[in-house]
Amino acid sequence: MISIANLHFAYRRRPVFSGLDLELRPGHIYGLLGRNGMGKSTLLRSIAGFLFPQQGSIDVLGHVPRRRQPAFLQRVFLLPEDFYLPPMALERWVTLYSVFYPRFDHGQFRRAAAGFELHTDGRLDQMSYGQRKKALICFALATNAEVLLLDEPTNGLDIVSKGQFRKVMAGAVDENKCIVISTHQIKDLENLIDRVTIIDEGKILFDQTIDAIQERLVFRLSYDPEETAGAIYSEDSFRGSALILPNMEGEDSRPDLEMLYKAVMLRGERINGLFSKISKR
Amino acid sequence: MTKGQYFSFSRFHQLVTLHWGSQKRLYLLALPAIAGLLVVWGIFLLFMDNYNPLDDGMQAFTYYWGLALVGCLYSSTIFAGFGSKAHGIAWLGLPASALEKLLCGLLFSTIVVFIGFAVVFYLVDIPLVKIGNELIERQHRVWPGGYPVAPDVVWNLFHGLPGKNPDSDFHVLLVLYFILQAMFALGSVYFERYAFIKTIIAFLVFALVFLVLEKQVFAHILPYGWKPFTLTNDWITNGETLRVKEVRVSTWITGPLAVLLLLGIPPVFWIATYFRIKEKQV
Repeated sequence: MISIANLHFAYRRRPVFSGLDLELRPGHIYGLLGRNGMGKSTLLRSIAGFLFPQQGSIDVLGHVPRRRQPAFLQRVFLLPEDFYLPPMALERWVTLYSVFYPRFDHGQFRRAAAGFELHTDGRLDQMSYGQRKKALICFALATNAEVLLLDEPTNGLDIVSKGQFRKVMAGAVDENKCIVISTHQIKDLENLIDRVTIIDEGKILFDQTIDAIQERLVFRLSYDPEETAGAIYSEDSFRGSALILPNMEGEDSRPDLEMLYKAVMLRGERINGLFSKISKR
Repeated sequence: MTKGQYFSFSRFHQLVTLHWGSQKRLYLLALPAIAGLLVVWGIFLLFMDNYNPLDDGMQAFTYYWGLALVGCLYSSTIFAGFGSKAHGIAWLGLPASALEKLLCGLLFSTIVVFIGFAVVFYLVDIPLVKIGNELIERQHRVWPGGYPVAPDVVWNLFHGLPGKNPDSDFHVLLVLYFILQAMFALGSVYFERYAFIKTIIAFLVFALVFLVLEKQVFAHILPYGWKPFTLTNDWITNGETLRVKEVRVSTWITGPLAVLLLLGIPPVFWIATYFRIKEKQV
């Protein structure tokens, strides 16, 4: 679905990617995690055809994104962090813009809007930033674009809306869609994404499915100093030490993405080594 | 290549509907504003000139300066949204081709503005000319020699320039308007901020470079006696002063060449704008 090979990109003299390779498949919600300024938005905009590779290639659904052909733009939707909506009634906006998307589903738009408790009879220029963002998320889902790229979608959403976002998104994925959510607010994506891709300094540091993470790592609280000493990563808390350990016994645990992210940043080689060791067996 | 990826009438129609739907408030507010400015200007002329305050020369002057100002200001904003990340993604990400986006922008910035301005101009001009003529009649205005002042007539923008060949329907100023429009449209997609000012500066720099090249380089390349700017005629002199023969490039070459140059400039700017939109990165 999305195939990136040897991607090089730099802003003037600041290199962002130098030889990035990445494959994204349909039927997944990818969580693209990374620090600010590490290339998450650049990657999304390159996939959507708004930035052009200086070297290497990007193939999205058999299209070259930089050509921005209508057939490509109908199938790929980018929800940017900074977005523009014209000053008009929401319903009018949906009517005018939806005609460009042959698979646009008005029923789906209304259902998503209901999920967000968004009133569709208002004007876009009189809505708050969060409401406008919800409207755009609903629109993005209703386009039924096969590739949905969301850049920091939970920024500007309140706590209740973040929960609604997870619910709405979970109902949107199917085996033909590939959803990529870029964020540095990792907690917002828990229980939503099924694949974690961590990007740093223009490189993919970690790229595994949640199932594989659960299979190979254990996330647990412990008071045992010996166990803590043997952990791949540990964090002290009031409830004891939060640990990430190799999953030797096939234990079931819920991955803590924030901890995983920190562990990858600090002990990336060890974690990746663990994954590659097991996959070689 | 998928069919209809460059141009589709239905998509173009959707794009035009979308542009009108999102921008109509701006257009509809601009029309009375322009009319108001024209009325103020017309009243000023009625007060200032006791003879023919709105003769055809003044009407043409008002029309072309107004059109140039309004048209260029609007053109310099038509693709300016590409300069901002949010607007650029919204517009470039819309499933329509670069050609359709260009044509939609040109339709509004060039044709709609032209028609809109012409309509507003005549809505203001016709009553003002009538008022001016009534003043001439009521006040029994005469020229210093005692001749009565003739009433003004409404100037027809599709006729030749006042005082020029009245049979000529090729209106060089109208063509110049399209050249200016095309230039400012290119400027709007080329410069991310302050497109209007930067386009003027770019034009002045280009004109300066052209004049310097023309005077300092081309003049020396051409044979003695040829004028580089017009390239049409000059005198072959016998010795220092005696002019014996006029050499002129035939008008069947210079005429079409001039027309081609004038009509060819806007498409050149439009093509440049197209590629700029196509290659635009956000």
